[in-house]
Amino acid sequence: MIKDKQFRRYDTFACIISCCIIFAFSIGTAYGATEQSDEPVFWLWQFLGRLHPLAVHFPVSLLVFAAFLELFTIGDFQSKLRPGINLLVLAGVAGAVISVVLGLLLANVEEYGGDTLSIHQWTGIATAVLGLVLLYLLRQVTNKSKLGLVYSYRALLFFTGIGVSVAGHFGASLTHGEEYLTSVLPWNEESSYAAVDMDIDLVAYQAAELSEEKQIKLVGQVRAIFAHNCYNCHSTAKIKGELRLDEKEHIFKGGESGAVIIPGDAGKSDLVRRINLPKNHKDAMPSKGKTLSKAEIAVITLWIDKGAPWPEGVENQSVYRVAELAPRMPAIPAAKAGLDNPVDLFVDEYYNQHGQSWKSPVDDRTFLRRIYLDILGILPSPKEYEAFASDQQADKREVWVENLLARNDDYAIHWMTFWNDALRNDYTGTGYITKGRFAITDWLYTSLKENKPYDQFVKQLLNPDERSKGFIEGIRWRGDVNASQVTEMQAAQNVGQVILGLNLKCASCHDSFISDWKLEEAYAFANIFADTTLEVSRCETPIGKKASTKLLWEELGEIDSTANRSEKLKQLADFLVQPANGRMYRTIVNRVWKQLMGRGLVEPADEMDNEPWSQDLLDWLASDFVNNGYDLKELIRKIASSRAYQQPSIGFDDPLALSDENYVFEGMVRRRLTAEQFSDAVSKIIYPLFEEKQVKYNPFQLVASEQQQLEYPRASLVANNEFLKALGRPNREIVSTSRDSQASLLQALELTNGETLNGALMEGAARWKEKYPDGDILIHEIYRQLYGRDPKQNEFNIAGEVLGDAPTVEQIQDFFWALLLLPEFQLIY
Amino acid sequence: MKTDWKRRDFLKKSSAAAIATMGMGTPFTSLLSSCTGPKGMPSTADSVILLFMAGGMAHTETFDPKKFTPFRKGMESKEVLSTFASVPTALDGIHFSEGLENIGQIMDRGTLIRSYVAADLGHILHTRHQYHWHTCYEPPQSVLVPHMGSWVAKELGPLNPVIPPFININQRFTVGEGEELKAFHSAGFLGSEYGPFLIPDPTGGLESVRPPVGMNTKRFESRNQLYERMVQESAMGEFGSDYQKESLKRSMEQAYILLNSPEAKAFDLTEEPKEKYDIYNTGRFGLGCLMARRLIDQGARFISVTTEYEPFFGWDTHENGHTRLVDMKKMIDAPIAQLIKDLDESGRLDRTMVILASEFSRDMMTEGRPDLKVKDQVVVPDFIEDMKNYGMHRHFTDGCSMLMFGGGIKRGHVFGKTADERPCKTVENPIKIDSVHQTMYHALGIDPEKHYEIEKRPFYTTPDGLGKPVMDLLA
Repeated sequence: MIKDKQFRRYDTFACIISCCIIFAFSIGTAYGATEQSDEPVFWLWQFLGRLHPLAVHFPVSLLVFAAFLELFTIGDFQSKLRPGINLLVLAGVAGAVISVVLGLLLANVEEYGGDTLSIHQWTGIATAVLGLVLLYLLRQVTNKSKLGLVYSYRALLFFTGIGVSVAGHFGASLTHGEEYLTSVLPWNEESSYAAVDMDIDLVAYQAAELSEEKQIKLVGQVRAIFAHNCYNCHSTAKIKGELRLDEKEHIFKGGESGAVIIPGDAGKSDLVRRINLPKNHKDAMPSKGKTLSKAEIAVITLWIDKGAPWPEGVENQSVYRVAELAPRMPAIPAAKAGLDNPVDLFVDEYYNQHGQSWKSPVDDRTFLRRIYLDILGILPSPKEYEAFASDQQADKREVWVENLLARNDDYAIHWMTFWNDALRNDYTGTGYITKGRFAITDWLYTSLKENKPYDQFVKQLLNPDERSKGFIEGIRWRGDVNASQVTEMQAAQNVGQVILGLNLKCASCHDSFISDWKLEEAYAFANIFADTTLEVSRCETPIGKKASTKLLWEELGEIDSTANRSEKLKQLADFLVQPANGRMYRTIVNRVWKQLMGRGLVEPADEMDNEPWSQDLLDWLASDFVNNGYDLKELIRKIASSRAYQQPSIGFDDPLALSDENYVFEGMVRRRLTAEQFSDAVSKIIYPLFEEKQVKYNPFQLVASEQQQLEYPRASLVANNEFLKALGRPNREIVSTSRDSQASLLQALELTNGETLNGALMEGAARWKEKYPDGDILIHEIYRQLYGRDPKQNEFNIAGEVLGDAPTVEQIQDFFWALLLLPEFQLIY
Repeated sequence: MKTDWKRRDFLKKSSAAAIATMGMGTPFTSLLSSCTGPKGMPSTADSVILLFMAGGMAHTETFDPKKFTPFRKGMESKEVLSTFASVPTALDGIHFSEGLENIGQIMDRGTLIRSYVAADLGHILHTRHQYHWHTCYEPPQSVLVPHMGSWVAKELGPLNPVIPPFININQRFTVGEGEELKAFHSAGFLGSEYGPFLIPDPTGGLESVRPPVGMNTKRFESRNQLYERMVQESAMGEFGSDYQKESLKRSMEQAYILLNSPEAKAFDLTEEPKEKYDIYNTGRFGLGCLMARRLIDQGARFISVTTEYEPFFGWDTHENGHTRLVDMKKMIDAPIAQLIKDLDESGRLDRTMVILASEFSRDMMTEGRPDLKVKDQVVVPDFIEDMKNYGMHRHFTDGCSMLMFGGGIKRGHVFGKTADERPCKTVENPIKIDSVHQTMYHALGIDPEKHYEIEKRPFYTTPDGLGKPVMDLLA
């Protein structure tokens, strides 16, 4: 039996406990009010507050255990467990109340905040209050023998047990992070994102000794994480807490509160502690923006545990593949029967190494369609198909390629599409409004038509006259522009990307983490395009340094930094186009290869440091290009007359597989017609899609001759419009060297009910009906014109069913529409 | 990027699957009940309507009126604070400028923000600020950045599979600065698939989603049948599957389904009862609001309706600020109020977030912000003799009003404050564009850490993933 005396003590406890709660609240409020002031917190409150995480374990375990034991007393309330249970409840509730008091201190002193905190706080307080009620009930039952209250008591005990666990859970979320528990579940693995591409296999780094290469790679990743997440506040730009994370010396030195990393002991490193804190914690880092992903934290932790290795000069050591700058002329593999084009000899060697073999070349029809589309951007006419078929010359394919290349205007009109994208030249567009953009259309057209040697072409872009200055002048927007987007930096980025196949966009803001390019190198290059010396800015903040003036590769030459802009540009142009700049010529031959083959030797074609599938072929093409006087047409001739070009086309189910590093070359890759190729085909065969007045540049405007006129408004000379845009012509505010080959809903809608196409089809159908009133003849004729072949029996039957003997305009219109949208028409195959 | 591609692929496949089930007659409303985003992020909104007051809407003349300073010949320019009287709203102590009574009466259903602060971009160009507002990135950029609607379209996909996930109503690109407008009406690096479906004129909205002119449904159907039969017969069949070919076929199917669907009627405003139509019909903007509501009823994801930006028109008052605003308010007041009421009554406001915003505000005296003035674009005489000089003609970035309703936004709430005296700049709770975006993404359940590797650099929904959702705006 339980004695009265013991329960008098309960009363005393209850009283003390209640007082404590009130006390805690008053402290809480007082601190809440003075939170703004920066006065240091009284040490005792801080100390007591930090006891909260210790104290909380008592109520959780005691109350839950009490509830557990209570289960054994069901049916026998006064079991011999009773005194023990009562003590557990008493101690548990006391613990809960004390935890609340300490918790409130902690919350106020340490400046936690947020939703999780309020949930935790109020469940905690509620548990303590419930506990007091629980004690009261228990006393009523045991002391005053009000046995009717047993059920209420038990219910409340279990409820409090649950409550205290819930409070505990939120408390844990607060200190360990919300995903602490759930993140280890196998289905939650991919829930976090890394700002930095984590192409590092941490398992391989667990070994005791890291090789120098691994050390470099590891610290490279760490630096990348710092750059993307910490530099905003902890670099030269802004040095919060006197901590800089951008240089070795500063990282190891630490900040105002001492060292942030203890090499070899991540657990004791303040930096690791802070990046692991939940977002709401006042010490959590990064304090702004997103918290680090688990992968990022793992990399930093590993690096510190491994002793934070930072090999000397790591900043200058490359972990990236860097392509050779110098040209190289590999020996052409030994001649082989049936193969005389050097391209084919290299491909043959490649095939042998990769278990590929030659397939039969495509038939005449397919070949002719390819070269017309690839060289001139238009379809062959039925007559041309016939002429080609009946041509008996053994080398007719080569001959026809040459003939097409000789059609200078058609060639120029077609290649305008590619170069307008690449040089972001457009007839209208962003930037013209503030007179900060200049077209180079006339220069470009003339250059292509004349087949200007590529070294001259580049020279005139880099050291321009009025007609070609648009490319390096860039696009100026009114107002203040980010330092990384001033026109000089645009020029550096665009020359880098288009002419040299390298990405300077990262390095124009900070030292790059995807290549070895440094901020100051990007500025030195941009400075060549500047009238006055540029100020170097890192992430938009000047670092108090003037840019030097340098080429990206000093071995190509030295720019006179004291010279004026035009002199500097002249030097730049002269130095870059030297044959010694193998990179530039590899870049252009790779681009042309990609235009004809659907996939570059190197992919992406803007990242020439990536490995080509055949280094020999790339190097040979580039050197041969130089030896042949930088002749683009000769390059095209060589590729288009190769057997490699004539292999059957290859399809891909996943566009990613195309840029995969394990890609194996088999033959030309199938692709969609460009907006311009599609439009020109429709315009020529069915009805002009565009009106004369939409033509923004007419090369024949000044030509008096009657024959030399645009047969129909050629799409590449028309200002961008919704139709062309839907079919993939880019906006041309930024340079763009490849187009998306994938169809989209918006595109399909434009083709299905857009006015441009349907209007032209309606007009065209009427015209065709007049010319070919007989259904059968019309069917044959349209198949020949669009597909270069006669309809197959099944196709003819379907068409005949729809059209009948004397088709109406509507029937013809719908038939044409279907023909134009079939993959056979839409693809270059 | 690799995983993202897979995800994209998955989205495509799932939307194709959704279309397939549509074909079998599954009502799309079964898709509407979901309360979480695709990655299990909790969400309070499924859809967004953005009502954009293009051209710079003066806060002191609309949702944040100051002392009324009536026109008198010869008055000093700098004494002008508001050129309209104030009227009470449904919220105690909160007044709007005269002419916005209807919107005032529905303010108990949403939140009034009086502290939006636009960026400092130097010498002001509307389209540059609009680009920044809609993409969160300051132009120019070295990659093409997506419109917020494209992010939503990409991350959440269509709500009803037949309605394009990003619809842009009212902006024509044939007017001044059209090219600059095009620059941000784009899906950028997310791919043209997520670009805006453009309805330049809501009265002609149906044209965009019905069979081509002169083609009846029967003919449209048989044309499509013909196409499908010919695909079967086509010589390209032998080449097996190919992403270009497959995506072409899939998109053609999608287009066909949309053009043939009953939901396409949402674009047909003549289907609306006349009384309702008349309330909305204050011109193209009002009808745009009506179309937005009709589209939301059918399960649209992101709709932007603009008053349309054309230099020196609409909100872009370089002169006659006062008289022009009388008309502008007439244009927006009734339709916006009706839009909110309609959505609220149908219960859709619960999961539809409506945002009203402008790229910046205007003031009589200050160009830019008080402590960082930029090049003046309007001559403001010291003394006003002529009515045409009476109004807010300069571009002001330091205090702008916004309204937000629904989709988890608090009801009857006021956030932020501007000074009552010139410069009427933000003095409490400044909110910037990245927080606006993050608040919207948060409500939609889009992960704030969502990003793509573009040219090996991470791009987030906001620059560097910065900006936090303003939790105080959310219920």
